[in-house]
Amino acid sequence: MDEILRLSHVSKTFPGVRALNDISFDLKRGEVHCLCGENGAGKSTLIKILSGAYQPDEGGQIVFNGKEASLNPRSALRMGIHTIYQEHIVFNDLDVTENIFAGSEIVRNGLMQRKEMRRQTENVLKYLKSDIPPAARMRNLTSGQQKIVEIAKALISRSNVIILDEPTASFSSNEIETVLDVVRRVKQEGVGVIYISHHLDEVFAVGDRATVLRDGRVVGAYAVKDLSKTALIKDMVGRDPSTFYKRERVKTGEVVLEVKNVSGNGARNVSFELRRGEILGVAGMVGSGRSELMEALFGAAPLVYGEIAINGRSIKQSSPKSAIRNKMCFITEDRQSTGLFLPKTIAENVAMANMATTRAILVRPSDEVSTAEKFIKLLNIKAPSARARVVNLSGGNQQKVVLGKWFNTGGEIYIFDEPSHGIDVGAKQEIYKTMVDLLKAGKAIVMVSSDMPEVISMSDRVIVFRRGEIAGELAGDAITEENILTLSIGDREQ
Amino acid sequence: MSTPDSRGSALPAKESLFKRHENLTVLSIFLGFVVVVVLIQLISTGGSRFPTFISPVNIVNILQQVAVPGTVAISMTMVMVSGGIDLSVGMLASLVSIIVALGVSQWRLGVWPSIGLGVGSAVVLETVLGLIISRTRIEPFIITLGGMISFQGIALLLCNSREVVMQGELNFLTANLAGGARDPVTGLILRIPPYVVSFFVIALIGGLVLAYTRYGRRIYAVGTNPRAAFLAGIDVRNMRLSVYMIQGLLVGIGATMLLARINTGIITLGQGLEIDTIAMVVIGGTALSGGKGNIVGTLIGVFFLGSIANAMNLLRLPSEVQFLAKGVIVIVAVSAGDISSQISDFRTLRRERMRAHDLAIAAKKGGKQAQGAVQADFQDSSV
Repeated sequence: MDEILRLSHVSKTFPGVRALNDISFDLKRGEVHCLCGENGAGKSTLIKILSGAYQPDEGGQIVFNGKEASLNPRSALRMGIHTIYQEHIVFNDLDVTENIFAGSEIVRNGLMQRKEMRRQTENVLKYLKSDIPPAARMRNLTSGQQKIVEIAKALISRSNVIILDEPTASFSSNEIETVLDVVRRVKQEGVGVIYISHHLDEVFAVGDRATVLRDGRVVGAYAVKDLSKTALIKDMVGRDPSTFYKRERVKTGEVVLEVKNVSGNGARNVSFELRRGEILGVAGMVGSGRSELMEALFGAAPLVYGEIAINGRSIKQSSPKSAIRNKMCFITEDRQSTGLFLPKTIAENVAMANMATTRAILVRPSDEVSTAEKFIKLLNIKAPSARARVVNLSGGNQQKVVLGKWFNTGGEIYIFDEPSHGIDVGAKQEIYKTMVDLLKAGKAIVMVSSDMPEVISMSDRVIVFRRGEIAGELAGDAITEENILTLSIGDREQ
Repeated sequence: MSTPDSRGSALPAKESLFKRHENLTVLSIFLGFVVVVVLIQLISTGGSRFPTFISPVNIVNILQQVAVPGTVAISMTMVMVSGGIDLSVGMLASLVSIIVALGVSQWRLGVWPSIGLGVGSAVVLETVLGLIISRTRIEPFIITLGGMISFQGIALLLCNSREVVMQGELNFLTANLAGGARDPVTGLILRIPPYVVSFFVIALIGGLVLAYTRYGRRIYAVGTNPRAAFLAGIDVRNMRLSVYMIQGLLVGIGATMLLARINTGIITLGQGLEIDTIAMVVIGGTALSGGKGNIVGTLIGVFFLGSIANAMNLLRLPSEVQFLAKGVIVIVAVSAGDISSQISDFRTLRRERMRAHDLAIAAKKGGKQAQGAVQADFQDSSV
């Protein structure tokens, strides 16, 4: 096996964050090299460097096929480095053949050679032992089949390296097997495959080598056959807990929220209790159904089954409006697209959620401004005035505006989905402090987070999600990286 | 891996004057237009006569002409701020005029019951469209296009494809409220009919509702970001429905006013009304994508578009040229805001480029120290 790609001492720095630190990594023809690591370990940044989307810092070296290379989106494609992202990028209303040849149609004398394209498509699908009809519309295929079409496209364009980012997320176990089979055939073609998955059993099923990333560094590179699952997990965890944020503990009170056997929107049979003065962490891999459950609890997605009780009284959550009236607040993960009205002012944003509860018909802009000023002071929002447009604020200050919007409703139960996503360290600490202040005031918090230090340092208890279900609950000293990761990765069969 | 904040957007953007006061661009174009017309008139008469374009009697004239499309433009603003559009208003106005005229002249319902029937039908029909638009994911453009065609069908069925002539039963709507007041310039009688007054009252109410009520705020919220609005507890579907119901009400009122002027219920009565009102609203700065716009802007759009044809007549330009001029002015007025913001973006870019250039030169001279300066700059701009 000869080497196709080598990275030596590659780093990538964003303002305030070192996403990758002195990474060395190599890939041979005909092997599947797995990248393992928690959310935020640097896997996505590494892929983006390989696909040319990000430029690495100066100092590192990338060698492709024995020659030093610099990668940008064009040159990466020309070298045959093909990235298949987690989300399907397909043309739903074109058929399989047209999708495979989109952008690189075979043309002779200005005419498309449909027969030739059809023939090549049939050949590649036959080689992959797939029964997808080349004339089927993309829309009518399952996600697993669409993934195979994307892989076929990469093969036909004579790729040297195929990068698969979470290829099996949200697939049924049947489909996962099919995709893994296809990956095995692809590597027999002499293509180097970089495979990223949260599911460790896939790593063991298909991988030849595994490189473990943690906090932007390579912590180990192994041949998969010499590796055990526990050793791999040990490698992925291992941050020093003494560096985590130290949170003040608050005495917990009575149960304020009870969730009993709730199913819907991808979550299955979820039950938990939440007390006043406590933070319930919800951990698990991205895509394990945590945010989806929160949407259902908040009335933003249909609840198929189960019961929600607030202060012991069973309630029906038909819409976010009724949830807000039941004193719930939902700080969503993507504040720009679901939490804020970007072109509007801070004052208008802060006033918005309150409109579900107030009976007033008229609004007074001056009252809105003075309310907003109160929250600007309370939350230490850095903005020229309450009339500043939210779009011009930084991420941390935008998040604080979202908090102000919800504080203004006088809510009791706060659902935080990724509270510090994309926020700098200073603002992060301020938001943590604000969360503790909420607890002191007798409120309760459910916190969905993929940020391991955040989960460990902020939570009183943690429930861990895996494929839409609660895989386990941890409390006190049992809240460790290793325990959380073991529960959230688990085995598919279980 | 979380993507870092795009710091670029956090740079203290120096907004242009036009951006900060959103109605200023189109207002200045409008005033420019008025000045040009007045100047042409002054020059052609050698300054011997007062320019007729801005004489009180002509202004009152323009008001009479714009009252009906202006009324519909108020509710069209609400629909468009909420992120919708309504192509059906023209044919709906024709339909209402035919219903009211039939009610008065053939069904003998009496004047007020006929008006009630006409306006009520408009509200019901727009409610149907609003229900479909708010309960499905189909584009409002398509639904209201279908509405426009079906309203035309209903209207033609009702009147057997004939016009319905009235005997001036609605003349009380065109009475002159100004008494015998005369224009001091031309000496002509000023006519201020009730429907002009009602247009101003409706505009005032519409403006207050959009700017100072919870309901108005919600319209903007729905138009700006429907998902965030939903999660903030706003009933997005019923908000969408309600703006079409208001549209029905104002189209009903507007059509009745128009019928009072024309005295005949006829299918061509509302023809092109949707084009005129949408043009007025868009000239006034309302975005087709929703969330942006206001009634003051719309009023400027109404007077601007309404005075173009009038000015062309005064300048004795042939009607063929009028269409061209109208179209060009619509395009200029709508693109002016974007052009001015592109100019200011370009200026910002040039400023940044000069600053980066200075930094690069400083880095060459001072080595490491200058790099520290770059870092500090990043931190400052994140606030």
